[in-house]
Amino acid sequence: MQKGMALNMECKAAIAYMHDYLDRELPREQTLELQKHLASCAECRTRLEALEKTDALMRTLASEKTPDDLTYRIMKSLPKSRNPRAWTTWVRRHPAMSAAAMFIVVMVSSFVAMWNQNQQLTVRGDLDHVVIQGHTVIVPAGQQVAGDLTVENGVAQVMGDVQGNLTVIDGNVTLASTAHIAGKVKTIDRAVDWAWYKVTSWFDTIAYGS
Amino acid sequence: MKPIETRLARLARKGDQRAFAEIVDLYKDKLYHLAYRMMNNRQEAEDVVQESFLRVYKHLDRYDENQKFSTWIYRIATNLCIDRLRKRRPVYSLDAETDHEGLDGYAMLPSDERTPESEVILSETQRLIRDAIETLPVKYKSVMILRYLQDLSLQEISDVLDLPVTTIKTRVHRGREFMRKKLENKL
Ligand SMILES: [Zn+2]
Repeated sequence: MQKGMALNMECKAAIAYMHDYLDRELPREQTLELQKHLASCAECRTRLEALEKTDALMRTLASEKTPDDLTYRIMKSLPKSRNPRAWTTWVRRHPAMSAAAMFIVVMVSSFVAMWNQNQQLTVRGDLDHVVIQGHTVIVPAGQQVAGDLTVENGVAQVMGDVQGNLTVIDGNVTLASTAHIAGKVKTIDRAVDWAWYKVTSWFDTIAYGS
Repeated sequence: MKPIETRLARLARKGDQRAFAEIVDLYKDKLYHLAYRMMNNRQEAEDVVQESFLRVYKHLDRYDENQKFSTWIYRIATNLCIDRLRKRRPVYSLDAETDHEGLDGYAMLPSDERTPESEVILSETQRLIRDAIETLPVKYKSVMILRYLQDLSLQEISDVLDLPVTTIKTRVHRGREFMRKKLENKL
């Protein structure tokens, strides 16, 4: 097939069949049709060969070596405690309350939405050694932040050293392989804590009528 | 008997950190491989993997056990990659039958693929395939990576990307033709 020349109908159909064939989805009858066409069309034969080769090459692509301490860094970047099941279990054990619970959840989520609006990025700590881009606070590789670093309503991206604790309130944190945090990494989701507090106090009211 | 991931997810949901660490161990290599080929950058791949697990952790309650865990986690990671790529690269399409050679101004962006340490272990063929994948437009790239590097079926890719199987099929076909053109005269 010359470049730029339109494919004839038969070749066009054959090419579609080739792909289905490579996907192992070409029915037997069409496979026979394809074979028949290939027997009489050198261009399509060349094309199928090239496609098969491409297919095989793609499958040989080696995996990247995952950094050794990735699991450790992932585990360290997780919020400290996770126990959101407590109250949903409670709801399940008290089906009569479910409707009331739904109502409260809807109400609370609108509070949370309100809560999340107009939140400004606040950074506390050694500002000489961080870079702020939009809502991201970066500790560049090789930089040392003296003491604690607190980020509120933003993302902390640590590639260098933090010599104290790293606290992220209403945001999240990513740690690069070069990151070193001398103290603890803590993420606090205030909106959720607050919602949780609201929900429990409502349930207390309903349950104990106080 | 539920699959191992489902059991681990249940334990992790109750606050069992070791169960979550096991999930991380089961998937970190796959996600890293996926993210590295999508982003073509080690640091960004790591960021994506970290963020994926953080999302999985935060949303364990939303995991629907009728769905394969792998589908769910691949969806989270793939979407993160796609979002990042959309933000950084110019939009162009394979649908218009133009010649894409040299169209990607993207090659100018920093990539750590050519650092000396990785160059040593990369064979020429591997490098050609990587470069060809790198020039694929995002929507074909994700499908091709899931198909060939993660070995997912067309149906699984359709579940991950939440697109009809026919769309996935078309993208595999076009992606394969794109790769053929890229590799043909170089090998
Ligand atoms: Zn033909």
